Amino acid sequence: MKILVGVKRVVDYAVKVRVGSHGVELKNVKMSLNPFCEIAVEEAVRLKENKGAGVSEIVALSIGPKQCQETLRTALAMGCDRGIHVQTDLRGDYMELQSDAVAKLFQKIIEEKEKDADLVLVGKQSIDSDCGHVGPMLAGYMSWPQATFAAKIDVEGNGLLVERETDQGTETIRIPKLPAVISCDLRLNEPRYATLPNIMKAKKKKIDTFQAEDFGIDLEPKNKVLEVFEPPARKEGIFVDDVNQLIDKLRNEAGVIP
Amino acid sequence: MLSNRMFTSFSNNLLRKKLHHFLCRKQSSTFLMRTLSSSSYQDDGEDTSYRNNNGVHLDMKSFFNPTDEHYQLREMVKTFVEREVEPQANEYNKTETLNLPLLKSLGDLGLLGLTIPTTYDGSGMDATASVIVHEELSYSDPAFCLSYLAHSILLCNNLNVNGSTEQKEMFLPQVCSGEKIGGMCMSEPSAGTDVLGMKSKAVYDESMDGFILNGNKMWITNGTLDGNDTGDIFLVYARTGNDRMDLTQFVVENGMEGFKLGQKIEDKLGMRASCTAELVFENVFIPNSHVVGQVNQATICMMRNLEIERVTLAAMAIGIARRCIDEMVSYSMERSAFGKSTIEFGQIQKAISESYAEYMAGRSYVYAVANGLDLMSNGNGLDADGVKLYSAKMAKNVADRCIQVMGGYGYVGEYKVERLWRDAKLLEIGGGTNESHHKNMIRDLKKMGNKLM
Repeated sequence: MKILVGVKRVVDYAVKVRVGSHGVELKNVKMSLNPFCEIAVEEAVRLKENKGAGVSEIVALSIGPKQCQETLRTALAMGCDRGIHVQTDLRGDYMELQSDAVAKLFQKIIEEKEKDADLVLVGKQSIDSDCGHVGPMLAGYMSWPQATFAAKIDVEGNGLLVERETDQGTETIRIPKLPAVISCDLRLNEPRYATLPNIMKAKKKKIDTFQAEDFGIDLEPKNKVLEVFEPPARKEGIFVDDVNQLIDKLRNEAGVIP
Repeated sequence: MLSNRMFTSFSNNLLRKKLHHFLCRKQSSTFLMRTLSSSSYQDDGEDTSYRNNNGVHLDMKSFFNPTDEHYQLREMVKTFVEREVEPQANEYNKTETLNLPLLKSLGDLGLLGLTIPTTYDGSGMDATASVIVHEELSYSDPAFCLSYLAHSILLCNNLNVNGSTEQKEMFLPQVCSGEKIGGMCMSEPSAGTDVLGMKSKAVYDESMDGFILNGNKMWITNGTLDGNDTGDIFLVYARTGNDRMDLTQFVVENGMEGFKLGQKIEDKLGMRASCTAELVFENVFIPNSHVVGQVNQATICMMRNLEIERVTLAAMAIGIARRCIDEMVSYSMERSAFGKSTIEFGQIQKAISESYAEYMAGRSYVYAVANGLDLMSNGNGLDADGVKLYSAKMAKNVADRCIQVMGGYGYVGEYKVERLWRDAKLLEIGGGTNESHHKNMIRDLKKMGNKLM
């Protein structure tokens, strides 16, 4: 089985972002590997360590500026075998490069560079754009089965058994045959730290770079961002005396019940 | 630029050649200072930073992370610290106990034997890598970092530099993995700065072909790991001859008869999550296999390790200072008084900006020394002393300003900075008091004639 894992370079989750004239300020801001992508990498590595799964190779794919090489190095240090960097300076946080273009770039990489990919693992969403589109869109473009919000993945014969998160709990999805696309959710696993010996080993692993413009895809955003603003500051709450007053306020002041 | 003027005004070819050579030299720290220009994260627009002869781009990020591996190491430790170290720091400070499982887990990451060759299950990295780890650990829990330092630097690194091949094969794999945790015994109840005044004595016993060790050692980090028993393995210095300089270094292991925990030192001002102990040696038999280096030649062992010890202690100070600056900025941007954020007031601005400049000066000094530090030699004592002398005091000052900026909240344990303030103070005492650095630096400066390079 050959696995392709998507890894996105995003603003670090702990950063308090500030909104400037061109959207969220990215200058001098700490960037990291998207937490859900990290979970996807961990799952790929665990599948490889599970001899019964027969994983031959894990390829990490990142789309973005040259600093994505750092993100790829982290994925390699966690246990991926090779990296692919699709270079573009377009902002990946929905301002310039959007889900459709990303999904199509993934498709091009699979069809032109990694034809024998059996499984694509991505994070359920990235924490900058929060779209959650690429997994399902890619599955659609490839006409491959998909299982999103995976909380557990097991190998079953020639396919996979996936437990999928829903609002009421988990549902089990059988993918009888590969290839397939799976997007990974929080409870799937706890990612390992890249140990220093593995960081040193990753030095020798290969990263191939391609230019996003060279794939013949329209990279223009399908949706235009009109405005980016911080949410209004939370106002102080009030105490009400009884249920009637509560209903009155909900109906007439907040306008949330008819 | 000064160099241009000098080039045109000096017609002497030889002098011009010398200047050109000096400006292009790679090792000089002044050279590195001049190239510090662009910021660490962005790389936009026209690139005007200085490039040396080989076209290598030197900027602040590469100065503090010389290779990609150094950068990845830092990122990995940062993540580990955020997730595993930060949440436990206050708790272990309160209980005055060592988080032994967490310390051992650093073995899995390859951090305990950071400077040990891979032959002995270490990670084979350099002084800069060690500084990076100490800086990042101390950002969150300096006490935990101190236990890490005592193990990885005072024990592991010393063994690697001074031990024989047999000793390295015997001891290093287990201390690199974290199976055994220990430290180094130099100070005694009545001998600290006057290290050659130590009284612990080891007498050679011909009939047993080994030494009999007697004495007390004090202030030993990791001297106990649980408060009840000694740590697993230690390097111990003891007097083996009549001359003041006649010291020998031994390996002493938990379980050797006569090797006992004297007492765990309770109620320290800071570094409370690091166990400090008095260790007692009563007629402990040390076989020849456990003699490290030459008999009566241990001052050489000392010299070789004191440099990296001081530089990593200075790195701890840098981590503390950086944390305090982050806390100051964050707090004063959110806290308001008289209608605006406190960061808009001059006294707060002075406290933060001066702290930043002092911290960057210290950080640059630490990395300049680390980048040039050869672990297998003892070349630069002057700057090892200098870097700790400067950084320790700087961290204490920055931590103090931080409490002041945070006011009442800075005074309270929950907000963490008071712990950093208490932890910082140790760095002016442990691993060399300020006074010992003064003494050493003057000794070295006297030898250098009266013109610094």
